[in-house]
This record gives sequence, structure tokens and C-alpha cells, in this order.
Amino acid sequence: MTMRNRTSELFLGVASGLLLGLMTAGSAIADDPEEAEVGVEADVEDAIVIGGSIPMTGVFAFAGLQFNDGFRDFVQWINEEHGGVQGRKFRYVGQDTGYDPDQSVGVFRRITSREDVHFYFGDSTAFSQTINSALNRQDILMTGASFASELNNPEEYPLQFLLGPDYSEQVGVLLEYIANEDPGARVAFVYSDTEFGRDPINASVERAEDLGLTVAETIVTPPGAADISSAALEHRRARPDYTIFHGYILSPIPDFIERSRQMGMETRFMGTYYTMDQGIIDEMGDAADGFMGVMPYRYYYDEEADDYPIMRTIREMNDEYRATTYIQAWLVGMLLKEIVNATLEAGDELTGTNMRRALDSLEDIDTGGVIGVPVTFRGNSIPVGRIYRADVEAGRMVPVSDWIDLTEE
Amino acid sequence: MRIGSPKETYAADESLFRTRTQWVWFGILLLSLALYPFVANLYWLFLACLICINIISATGLNILTGYTGQVSLGQAAFMGVGAYTVAWLDNNATTPFILNLLAAGVMTTLVGLVAGLPSLRVKGLYLAIATIAASFILQFVFINWESVTRGTRGINIQPPQLFGMEFDNPDTFYWLVVPVTVLMVILAANLFRTRVGRAFIAVRDRDISASVLGINLPLYKLMSFAIASFYAGIAGGFYAYFFGSINPESFPLLMSIFFLAAIIVGGLGTILGSILGAVFMTLTPELLRYGVDVLEPFVQDASALLSPVRTLVFGLLIVGFLLFEPHGLAEIWRRVRRFFHLWPFRN
Repeated sequence: MTMRNRTSELFLGVASGLLLGLMTAGSAIADDPEEAEVGVEADVEDAIVIGGSIPMTGVFAFAGLQFNDGFRDFVQWINEEHGGVQGRKFRYVGQDTGYDPDQSVGVFRRITSREDVHFYFGDSTAFSQTINSALNRQDILMTGASFASELNNPEEYPLQFLLGPDYSEQVGVLLEYIANEDPGARVAFVYSDTEFGRDPINASVERAEDLGLTVAETIVTPPGAADISSAALEHRRARPDYTIFHGYILSPIPDFIERSRQMGMETRFMGTYYTMDQGIIDEMGDAADGFMGVMPYRYYYDEEADDYPIMRTIREMNDEYRATTYIQAWLVGMLLKEIVNATLEAGDELTGTNMRRALDSLEDIDTGGVIGVPVTFRGNSIPVGRIYRADVEAGRMVPVSDWIDLTEE
Repeated sequence: MRIGSPKETYAADESLFRTRTQWVWFGILLLSLALYPFVANLYWLFLACLICINIISATGLNILTGYTGQVSLGQAAFMGVGAYTVAWLDNNATTPFILNLLAAGVMTTLVGLVAGLPSLRVKGLYLAIATIAASFILQFVFINWESVTRGTRGINIQPPQLFGMEFDNPDTFYWLVVPVTVLMVILAANLFRTRVGRAFIAVRDRDISASVLGINLPLYKLMSFAIASFYAGIAGGFYAYFFGSINPESFPLLMSIFFLAAIIVGGLGTILGSILGAVFMTLTPELLRYGVDVLEPFVQDASALLSPVRTLVFGLLIVGFLLFEPHGLAEIWRRVRRFFHLWPFRN
């Protein structure tokens, strides 16, 4: 046997041993879910199971890892401090999807075939759309990371809800603010050519016109584009007073802002939820100063955070800054706590339909300060948000408006 | 050569299964496939359906790339054409699902023929780039032809129905996708018993020699593109029905690379390679999840910490196969079979 053959055989031996071993161990675990030790409180019977397709790797991992921590901490808090809801404890089972919708569906199937899942968290719009019929069939209530306007439709998505304003409503909050501060201002939309980016644009152009604003330009950039020079020139020609970015996390916003500043433009830049985390200050530095955007939740360091029980708990459990996506997971927990409570009080089983009915019956839900006002669902969303501004000197986002509720018109 | 298989006639030489043992094994395989839904849970049935869809597409790509030597990075986009055809028909016509699926195959064949035109002038990496271009053009169409595709919002597809039954879950869908997969794999295997298939191989091995032998290169290259696209179309149609919702981001370039990797890992130019490659590429990341489960009791917050390791191990396994087994999993399978031919009488 030659050296090469021996190495080859060794590799094959190790590879097949690894896979076979995992398969055996895995099937043993699958037979005995008690052993699966997923999430905390694995031994609790009758637990309320939160399943999750969580993007712990891939492009959305920055949020997925925060969701994962948030769910873990919420479950620990509610079980230890409150003994669950009406004596029923919670259990969280989340697995990695790599932010790939096919894998997200696989994880959903994997978790739901091993556990009696009561509530689910999805990681993308594509997943929310794909899994919708399975949710209806298996009668499971779900929310997720997506704020797609498409999902804000209780008839088509009866067992799903959003964790704040949908993307059109987020831009709506921004436009409302602009219309109040600077009536008749010129607004430009810069968005990525993705499902995420295109989502609010048509509705927002109409809304801007309704509010008496002038839409100076809508500029689309290719997905993942590094070179935005032509978009920047288009932007310069439009000379907007306000520029709203949507469909990005960070790149190419810093480059865009820098070019606009170099060209001497005096436009105020704004963003939507996923752009508005601390990253924009930490990574852009001085260029981020004055960047504004809509945020449906309080930041970790909010000045009033300690006045509200859940924000206080979050701060007690975490010495250092936690991202807004971590707080978003806590909001899921708080809403679920109320939903479960209302369902059990009505004497109903925790099925998706019953839990949805309970959600619809709830008014002025107290989120423990995560959202600054008591919330009531409208359709599938909570159309409330607040405008924050990046204060680079202070190194944080500071609120510049009160909580804006789009239903109060 | 196999003992006890003298191949006394041309038919015997060409046959897919040469011995009774092979027929028995094939029967056992079919029986296992039929029994599988009764023992597997929804998760494993979901994986089985996904593997079948990937096998169909990988088989198509292997006909084009493995057998005919035309490198293509457009397989995912072709699947998209099939998926959108099914979606459009499902939403705008009352045609039965089988017809929709066939229409997906035919429509994708037509698109594949056009996308294959550059193969008449270029080959190798240049052709790969040309197929990427086709892929981008199709992606652009998926996003912007809103009246048909609903653009980036995506489009929903109702589950297929047959004889009043709704195939809306992996446990029922399995009965649709598995027979079609078996059929399509057998068709592909049979293709290489015909002049067409042999011509494909001749084109791959040396196109000039093939041309000298009287093989019409443009015709056969386009035919190969057409067949590969038909397979992609059917796979895409199943994909649309299976997931019930598609959008332009459902068929990224990365998915084409996935299929190319599947046939390379499985074995270029072998039907078995397409199957093994698709199984490996779909199943390995899922099996590695069990690794995370196994370590969960010992590592706090294992899902978050070990998920990147899972991706890394998957990558290393692929690199390992390319390094140590360049002929793919099909070659390992052949070695295992050779070993057992004379076992236990061979040391």
C-alpha cells in the first residue's frame, strides 16, 4: 500500500467514523428527547417550548447570536424568578440555520418532530413565507426577525406577528418625524436591490407625498455592492434634505455618507431598525454623528432604562452593552408571557389558534419598558417607534422624539 | 470484469444490471424506499424529499458537466425557471400538478437551449462565466418581471393535488418526489446506453475527435444543455411545490456551486456520483448537528459556540474528499464493491 493510499484510507476511516458515530449518537438522542439537553430546564415536564430557527452562522449571525442569548436569558429569568407562567415553565430550543431558508425549514422540521413546540421564532422573510402553511397545519404561533410588510396581513399569515412596525411603517415613522420637523422637505430613498430593500419603497413614496414631502429620488444599489459611485452621483444631483437608507445593515452606508460629505452635501441621513444598532457608531466613528433612525425598542443604555422592570433586569443580567436584537428576543418573551397567561386564563390549550386569539384580545400590553408605551397589535404589527440620533461624542444613540404611534392620526 | 457476467450479447453488455444479485439489491433499495416513510419522522422525511430534489438537479448537471464536459454555473437559475413556471401555472391556471411539472421541465429546456448557445463557441472556464451571465440575467428577470414573478415579494404555491389528495407535508410529498427521482435517475443511466449518451462522452473526452467521428458538436452540446435544464426544471418545480413559496433569492449562485460541489464530491461522469454527492452535501451538515447535540451536555451554550465549527468541519470534509478521493464517493463505492466481490476469499 502506498503512502497516498494509506492517507486516503485514514481520511476515509476518520470521515466515515465521524459521520456514522454522529448518526448513531444522534438517533439515540432523537429517541430520547429528554437527553437532548437543548436549552435550559430540559427536565421540566409540561414545559412551554419556544423553538427557533436561529442564524448563528452566516451573514445574519451578528443578530442570531444575540437572539439566542436573549431567549436563553429570558427563559432563565422567567423560570427562576417567576416559576414560569401559571406554574408552567419555559424551555428554549434553538438551532443554527446559517441564514439559509432551506436550512431554516429543516431546523423547524427537526425541532417540531422532536418536541411539542408551542411557539416558534423564524429568521427571515423567506422562511416566514415558506413555513406559513406548515404553521397553519401544525397550529403553531410564530414571530421572527423579519419586519416585511408582506407579513403584516392577518388573513394570509394568521399565525404570525411582527415584533414592531413593519418596514413600511418604520419608514412611515421617519416620514412623520420629517413632516413635523421640516414640512415640505425633499426626501431621497436609497435601498438595496433585495426583497429586504425593496419592501417599503413604493408605499413610502406614496406616504411621503401624502405628508406633503417631496420625493427627490429613489436610488437602488445592487445587492452587496461595494462600488456606490454612480448611486452617490445620482444622490448628489437629487440634493435631498433627508436621505433614508433601507435594506442594509451597515455597508455601503459609511461610504455613501463620506462621499456625500466630501461633495459638500447637507443632507440628514436616516436608517431603519437593522441599521440602527450601536455598530453604526462603533464602526463609522465621527462620520456617524447625527445619523438618525427609527428604533422600536429602548437601547440597553437608555437613560430611563432603570425605571422599567425588564430593562432593569436586562441591565442587571448583563454588565456590558447588549445589542437591540438581544432586547428584541426579550420582547418576544414578554409578549409570549402575556399571550400564554391570557390563553391559560381563558382555559384554552396552548395551540397556535388559541394563542393568536389571546393576542388579539390583549390591549395595552406592558412590555416592561422594552417599548416605551403600552402596545396593542394592529394587524400583525406594532406600529410604534421612536427616532434616535447618533451622538458620537457620547458614544450612544439618543432619543430625539417621543414614541410615535402611527395609529394615532 | 465481474465474474459470472460473460456479456455474450450486445444487450447484455449494455444492460444496467448484469446479474441477478444486482436485481435483488435494486429490489431491496426500492423496498427500503417504500418502507422508509413508515419508520422515519417528518424531519427525516423532509430531508429525504430535499435529497431527492437535489439528486434530480445534480443528475442533470452531471449529464452536462460530468458526461459532456460543459461546465455550468447556471443550474440554480434553471431551477428557478422551473419553480417560477410551476408557481405561475399554479396561480393562474387550473392545470394538474403533473402537467405543471412537465411544463416546468419544457420551459426550462427552452431557456437552457438559449443559455447553452455560448457553448458552441467557448468551453471550460469561459463557458462557466457565460453560464454565470445567464444566471444573472435570469435573476434579473425573476426580480423585475413582477407581473409573473411578483418580484422580490415572492410568490406562494399551493401544495400539489392528485386524485383528491393533497401532498402538503413531507410524509405525503415523499410519494411524489421519490418515484419521479427514481425514474429520472434510471432515464439518465439509460441515456448512456444510447448513441446520444456515448456522443456526450465523446464530446467531453476530445471534442475535435468526436467531430471527426461524425458527431454534430453543436447539436449534442445543445442537447446536453437541454437535458440538464429539463432535469433542473423538474427539480425546480418540485422545489416550488415542496417549500410552497419562492422568491428571487431562493436560487442564488451559491446554490449552483452547491450542485457543482455535489457532483465533484460524488464523482463526475457517474450517475451514482450524482446521487451520492447530493446525499452527502445535503445530509452531512444535518448529521453534524448531532455533533452539536452530543456535545451539548458538556459545553455550555453549545449551539452558539459549535455551529461555526459545524460549518468548518463540513468544509474540511469537502476539501478532504477532493484531496484524497478525487474520483468522488462513487469511486469509494466501487472499491467497496470490489472488495466484497471476492470476500472473504481475498486477503
